[in-house]
Order: sequence, then C-alpha cells, then structure tokens
Amino acid sequence: MANITIGVLCCHYTNQAGEEDFRGIPGEVILKRYPCSGHIEVADILKTFEEGAEAVLVAGCEKDRCHNLSGSLRAEKKVLGARKILEEIGLEPERVRFAFLPRLDTGPFMEEVRRTFETALNMKSKS
Amino acid sequence: MIIAERRPIPKVLKAIEPYERVLVLGCRGCVAVCSAGGDREVETMAAALRLARKLSGRPLKTGEATFIRQCDPEYLAPLKDMAREYEAVVSMACGVGVNLIADLFPEIRVYPGVDTTFYGANPALGEWQEKCRGCGDCILDVTGGLCPIARCAKNLLNGPCGGSQGGRCEIRPEVPCVWHQIYERLSARGELDRLMNFFPAKDWRPAGHGGPRERVREDLKMG
Repeated sequence: MANITIGVLCCHYTNQAGEEDFRGIPGEVILKRYPCSGHIEVADILKTFEEGAEAVLVAGCEKDRCHNLSGSLRAEKKVLGARKILEEIGLEPERVRFAFLPRLDTGPFMEEVRRTFETALNMKSKS
Repeated sequence: MIIAERRPIPKVLKAIEPYERVLVLGCRGCVAVCSAGGDREVETMAAALRLARKLSGRPLKTGEATFIRQCDPEYLAPLKDMAREYEAVVSMACGVGVNLIADLFPEIRVYPGVDTTFYGANPALGEWQEKCRGCGDCILDVTGGLCPIARCAKNLLNGPCGGSQGGRCEIRPEVPCVWHQIYERLSARGELDRLMNFFPAKDWRPAGHGGPRERVREDLKMG
C-alpha cells in the first residue's frame, strides 16, 4: 500500500494525543497544534496539503466549550473557505473535515483521525 | 471603503501560467479591512497558487508582501527592487493599486488577485453593502442622506418607481426600496417639501461618463 499522509490541525485544549495514540494509524500524521482552533487559517490548511497530506482534519472544542467562546466556530468556517479553494483548484472539498470534539477525550478524537485517514485512503485510491 | 473579493483561483492561475516566480502583494488599506487583500488573504492566495501548481506538476515559487497602501507612489516605491526577483506580481489591492503599479512600473507584469466591486459600508461582520456610486454630483442633502443612485436598482432620481411594493424593491425584494425610505425619513422630519422639485435629467459626466476623472488641488502641489 502506498504511504498515506494526513494532516491534523487542532487546539491544544481540544486534545493532547501523542505519538503512542497515532501508532494505530497506518500512515504519516502531520500534527499541528494551535493555542485555539480559531487561530487556524485557511492558509494553514492549504499548506498542510502542500506538505503532502491527502486529507486534513481540523478539530476544535465543542461549541459551548471553547474558552475563547467562538474559536471552534471560526475554525469550522475556515474549513468551508478551504473547501471552496480546494474545489476551485480541482481537489475534492471533502478532503478537509471539521469536527467539534469533547475536550481532552482521546477516544472521539482518534475516531475522527481514523475517519480522516479513510478519506485519504479513498482519495488516494481514486487518483 | 472600496470593497473587493478574492478572484477565482483558476483566473489567477491562468494569468500567471507562464511564470515560475510570482510575488503576491497585499494592501493594508480598504481591501484589508474588507478581508479581501490584506496579509491573511495574501498568505491564502499564495498557498492556493502553490498547491494548484504543485498538483499540475509545475511548482511555483511565491513571495509574499503587504504594503500600507498601493494607491500612493511613495508606498509602492519599494516594489521596483522587490519585483526584480519575480517574473510577475499578483496584486491583492483594488483595481486602483493594479493600475498604479502598471503606470509607475511598465516593466512589471501585474495581475489582479481580487475583483473590485463597489464603495460600501460594513454594517455587520461579514456583510458589505453598496452606499455610494461616486457619481460626482451628490444629492444626499435632498434625500435625507440616502442615495438613490447607489441604492435604487434603476438609479431613479424621482422615485419610487411603480414596482416598489410594500417598501421593497421589485428587482430584489429582499432590498428595501430606497425611495420609500427617503419618503418615510423626510415625512417623519416634516421635510417632504424637499421633494417638491423634480430632479432634472442627471449630468453623468462627473460620474466618469466623460472619461477618467481627475482632481487637482494646486494648493497641495509642491514644486
């Protein structure tokens, strides 16, 4: 199987999964953490694709749990902006996903990472 | 301020197709305020162009810079040297900036990174509305501060038209009929007499229909 790379962009407070947790992912994970998911820009998502990611997960805290109040809501909108650009340049918009996640709960976080890996796998098999 | 929006990436890609080194140049004036051409949008445009070109097998090198303004020669001066490293410039300024670069530096190939749309206000986050057409012959003193040239779909000087229904425009019912608003505003102030005189046919020459407009203030010129 060809090597698959995914990107995971998230808030420090959403999750602190480590190398150990990502061992179950049969590919490479580009992990970028931010002080708040609201700080993640469209350019950060596009740059992760430039670095070789086949799919990118942007994860933020649940809507009412962001300690900056609207950070994860902003991040969700940035994902929409990135999707539009991906579409314009001929990439499938579903390559970038957003997830609201309970804080510091690695189970749901890794579930979204696995889903993102499946997306990447599907995209890679199509190309 | 001048409102603009990001140009579709395929159009920008087509313009810079022959080049391998491109400078994406933002402006911290109006286009930064309306989130179309400031530092953040420069970064996004540059990343989108690089990613698209990487996918097409013809990698692109980009430089990124943002000037305080692109509509004044003194702020554009550093571009002369900066542009030497690049084959083309994608300007994220409004059309004024693109034109001034083209005027000042004929050797620089400059292409627009945004579409310039209108003069507008920012009534809420993420919303911009046209309020002025820059027609050069203001009538806001008579119309209660509400401009029918910019805000009436038919630019009527003596409105409302017969299509105004329930205070809404017949062209786009979600838009209030500005002539209805003008009437209500002046009526509430007891100033309806301001509308007793018909506006004659408008002279559109000050609006630019007599060619590019120019304003010269001798008292400000030096040398």
